[in-house]
Amino acid sequence: MENKLQVRDLTISFRTSNGKVQAVRGINFDLAKGETLSIVGESGSGKSVTSKAILGILAGNSIVEGGEIIYDGKDLLKISEDEFHKIRGDKIAMIFQDPMSSLNPIVKIGRQLTEAMILKGKARQKESRANFNTYMADLNKSMIEAVNGANASELSAKCKNFDQFERKHLDLEGAYNEAHAAASEAVENIEVLAFELEKKGAKDVPYRVNEIIQLAKKSVHEYVVKVNAEKVTALCVELKGEISKIKTPEGDAAKAIAALKELGSILKEAVEKTAPNFFAMGYCLTYGKEALPQVSVEELNAYMRKYLDDNFMLDFIADAKKGLMYSAEVSYKNKETAIAELKKYLPVFEEDHLDEKKCNAALKAMAVAVKATINKLELTKDSLSYTFESGMKDEMNKYFGAEGKNKKAQAKYDAAKAKYDRQVARGKVMDYVVPAAQIIDQELLQKNMIRQIARLVEHYEESLAKKELRDYDAETVAAIDYLKANASGVVNKVTKRIAKRRAIKLMEEVGIAEPRKRYNQYPFEFSGGMRQRIVIAIALAADPDILICDEPTTALDVTIQSQILELINKLKKERQLSIIFITHDLGVVANMADRIAVMYAGKIVEYGTAEDVFYDAAHPYTWALLSSMPDLDTDERLEAIPGTPPNMIYPPVGDAFAARNKYAMKIDFERQPPMFQISDTHYAATWLLHPDAPKVDKPKIITDRIARMKQKGSAQDAE
Amino acid sequence: MQNNQDVLLKVEHLCQYFPMEGGELKAVDNVSFDIKKGEVFGLVGESGCGKTTTGRSIIKLYNITGGSVFFKGIRICAGKRSYQDAMKSAKKEYGEKIKNASSEAEKSQLKAELDQIIVENKAKIKAANFDQKNCDKEYSEELVKKLNASYQPAIEAASGEEKAKLTAQYKDALRKAKKTKLVTQIQMIFQDPIASLDPRMTVRDIIAEGLVIQGERDKKVIDEKVYEMLELVGLVREHASRYPHEFSGGQRQRIGVARAIIMNPDLIIADEPVSALDVSIQAQVINLLNDLRDKFGLTILFIAHDLSVVKYFSDRIGVMYFGKMVELASSEELFLNPLHPYTRSLISAIPLPDPIYEKQRQRIVYNPLADHDYSVDQPSFREVKPGHFVMCNDAEFEKYQSILK
Repeated sequence: MENKLQVRDLTISFRTSNGKVQAVRGINFDLAKGETLSIVGESGSGKSVTSKAILGILAGNSIVEGGEIIYDGKDLLKISEDEFHKIRGDKIAMIFQDPMSSLNPIVKIGRQLTEAMILKGKARQKESRANFNTYMADLNKSMIEAVNGANASELSAKCKNFDQFERKHLDLEGAYNEAHAAASEAVENIEVLAFELEKKGAKDVPYRVNEIIQLAKKSVHEYVVKVNAEKVTALCVELKGEISKIKTPEGDAAKAIAALKELGSILKEAVEKTAPNFFAMGYCLTYGKEALPQVSVEELNAYMRKYLDDNFMLDFIADAKKGLMYSAEVSYKNKETAIAELKKYLPVFEEDHLDEKKCNAALKAMAVAVKATINKLELTKDSLSYTFESGMKDEMNKYFGAEGKNKKAQAKYDAAKAKYDRQVARGKVMDYVVPAAQIIDQELLQKNMIRQIARLVEHYEESLAKKELRDYDAETVAAIDYLKANASGVVNKVTKRIAKRRAIKLMEEVGIAEPRKRYNQYPFEFSGGMRQRIVIAIALAADPDILICDEPTTALDVTIQSQILELINKLKKERQLSIIFITHDLGVVANMADRIAVMYAGKIVEYGTAEDVFYDAAHPYTWALLSSMPDLDTDERLEAIPGTPPNMIYPPVGDAFAARNKYAMKIDFERQPPMFQISDTHYAATWLLHPDAPKVDKPKIITDRIARMKQKGSAQDAE
Repeated sequence: MQNNQDVLLKVEHLCQYFPMEGGELKAVDNVSFDIKKGEVFGLVGESGCGKTTTGRSIIKLYNITGGSVFFKGIRICAGKRSYQDAMKSAKKEYGEKIKNASSEAEKSQLKAELDQIIVENKAKIKAANFDQKNCDKEYSEELVKKLNASYQPAIEAASGEEKAKLTAQYKDALRKAKKTKLVTQIQMIFQDPIASLDPRMTVRDIIAEGLVIQGERDKKVIDEKVYEMLELVGLVREHASRYPHEFSGGQRQRIGVARAIIMNPDLIIADEPVSALDVSIQAQVINLLNDLRDKFGLTILFIAHDLSVVKYFSDRIGVMYFGKMVELASSEELFLNPLHPYTRSLISAIPLPDPIYEKQRQRIVYNPLADHDYSVDQPSFREVKPGHFVMCNDAEFEKYQSILK
């Protein structure tokens, strides 16, 4: 599976007046595409801090001491704030624990929901056009270079033609989509309204009927509702006449229901029809010599496809492929030189004391070579090459600035320490300790730099080794799809009305009753559960890649919790969303998680699939968590975890959970347990798994529960 | 239902409406139940269904709209709406009948009937108003009477120093008795342990506040009681001088519990006491409430939305949906034979720590319009099986009974 996010040795601490609090201590995990990873732990275990680090919103007094968070080839701990702007909320979205704090109290809900959509729509429009133009220009250039400048003007003209009929295609498709969307929405609305009218429980009827009429009128379009267009208009008029009768539930709704059902069936039929191939149609209408034949949609599609292929597309694809191959060749050649260059300058960074001038010159030379390897026509950007220079520069600045800063820090510490010692010598009892001087570790920085260079070399070598395996046909198709997608971004703009419709739909999706009324309300008019739903709707509006849920349902009741979890699960399946789900409620986790990481005192203590953790938990802390919650068959006394989590200013030497653990052994207080592997997917950090450890049994409450669950499971299988 | 236990709290046709633009919001609509001494009664439902409002109406934080609440047999809340409605409908009926009335005699008879109904209902309204205002006063007067009866003869009989001592004792007790309210024997534990504690008061002041209001002046007595309560809820004496922000969530909730039980209440209304807490701390607080219940025989009205906790903790459970009680049964019975579709949908939504089960779990969706046909026959709250009540109409009643068989 493709890994979306990798977290390696992440260590975060917070400066406080009492000293450094170690919130996260070297955690590792991967997040695959379309997977839910659940992080479970008590409050203060560092789970929220981890998620905030991924989103780059750590508090001001935080120090990222080490590690990396790799998303899309970039290390999120190193990229600039500007780059983060493009990722935060758009690619990685977050649902926070407290809904009130993530809503603006003086802005209406509707505006908060649509704001991002409209802004993003505008930004995307600009960006799409720019992307389209640059990519087209690059492709054109490469195509010409590939054939050594022969028939350059012809190739340019082809590119221009592509642009032209692509626009026509989008106009056509835009109009069709609008009509189609209106029709499908009308079908849904009609079904619900007719059902409610039959049951005499419909509310807000005139508004809804009017809306259906509007939608029905909109769905009249050449390729949607065509044959029955007159019938639809007549039915709309009839419905309008019936409104006064069905205003109250007592009124006679028989006629209205019949009209609604007929309208519904017409629209439903229209919705299910095949859509014409607008891309080909765009070409035929722009450059075709003859009019389109009046045949069924399937035949029309076949005709247009053939026409397009014969006259333009096959040719264009062949040329584009040549261009792509040429550009890749150039890039491979440059990669070879870059490897040599990088290897040549590596020793400069391996010396005992780095020389600033030498280093700068080396970096400059390397950067030029690295930059040359960038293949602009590659759709998946080679982010390592892109970020190489800025990343190195960053480390170098830190390295060469360190000496002075370290001196200052040491001096400050010495002065404070001297004062402290004087006070102690006078016999005063001190209520504070002098925090250690913050010395920048030059060695670590140097190691980082060497690793960056080595990694890039490795990366290039890897890519050269795979040279023969490249599928240029597939790449050409992908490139053309990319062009199409960007072109559609230009036309499909998000107006206020579209945004409102989408927002209302989202509100309905997350289960808010009467969304139209709610749209114009302020956050304080919503209850806690409703607010949380709004926050979820906002997070989903941006259509993110990774969704971080920080206790999203803790404040909600069972039915709504269940609805929201189902919603998140549904979206996960539909959009291949990767989810990090943070919670302390293990019941919720069982439903959501593919894999679970149990955190305690800033460390992951157990890590495995949901089945591993629930049926075969190995760490005493996981046992404690499992046995402290009642389920429907629990009768015995619950086992609460005694004591409180340790003070992380002075993290315990051994296992952090030892003090609250009734299974703790002597070694637990002395040495930290390593991660023991239990199975391919299951790891736990406890000395109990050591081969020399005494055998202990799980608490009875858990074994009983597992036995019950197994029994239930087998009963279900038998059925 | 066992009749050998005393009913501590009896709620009859409780209605709590809030005026809103364009009508009234029926937060609680015709809810009836009773709680026996020493039992835990769970009230579940989704947010906004009126379970918290029910709790607050019982403790008189709102003036209820209709129905009545009896605590230890004394009516503490009384609403007037039902009487007003009765008068209105009688007047309307009279207006229609008078049109059709033929003779003078018939007319005058109708008028007399109407007058009687109005007089009766007006008297009831007056009684309701009186009870609503004066239940506490009556209770304290009763206490004063008892005190007089016990002290007066002793004081008269004694002389000299002893008489002075007795008189002082009597005066102290009298002052307290006069300030004692019946409602203070119902105490509340709130959901949010942070918001329900005054950040500017020490824990001692918070816990002792009720005692001070009730007229206790002896500092030593107050301190002793506060320490006793702190130890009871698993805190230590030293905590008394601290402020709420110095405590963790679970400890704060313990302070809330201590504040409630220092008044020696007969009934505790626990409004989502564990919803805002971590799982491990939830277990601590539930264990604490269980211990206190065993120790003092507390009666608890437990309001929550987490069904596994409610099941674990309650003897009987009432399920509420949009202001109405839809099902009431003992907790085993409710989970074994859920009858009302809403209860079934609630139970189907409970998450369990069992991944395989969870991945198969199908949530049942409750849609009142699709699940019931109330166009002809309106539902009412009926006893399907001894102790098991469901909101249903005739057809459903028969269906449920056949299910139970």
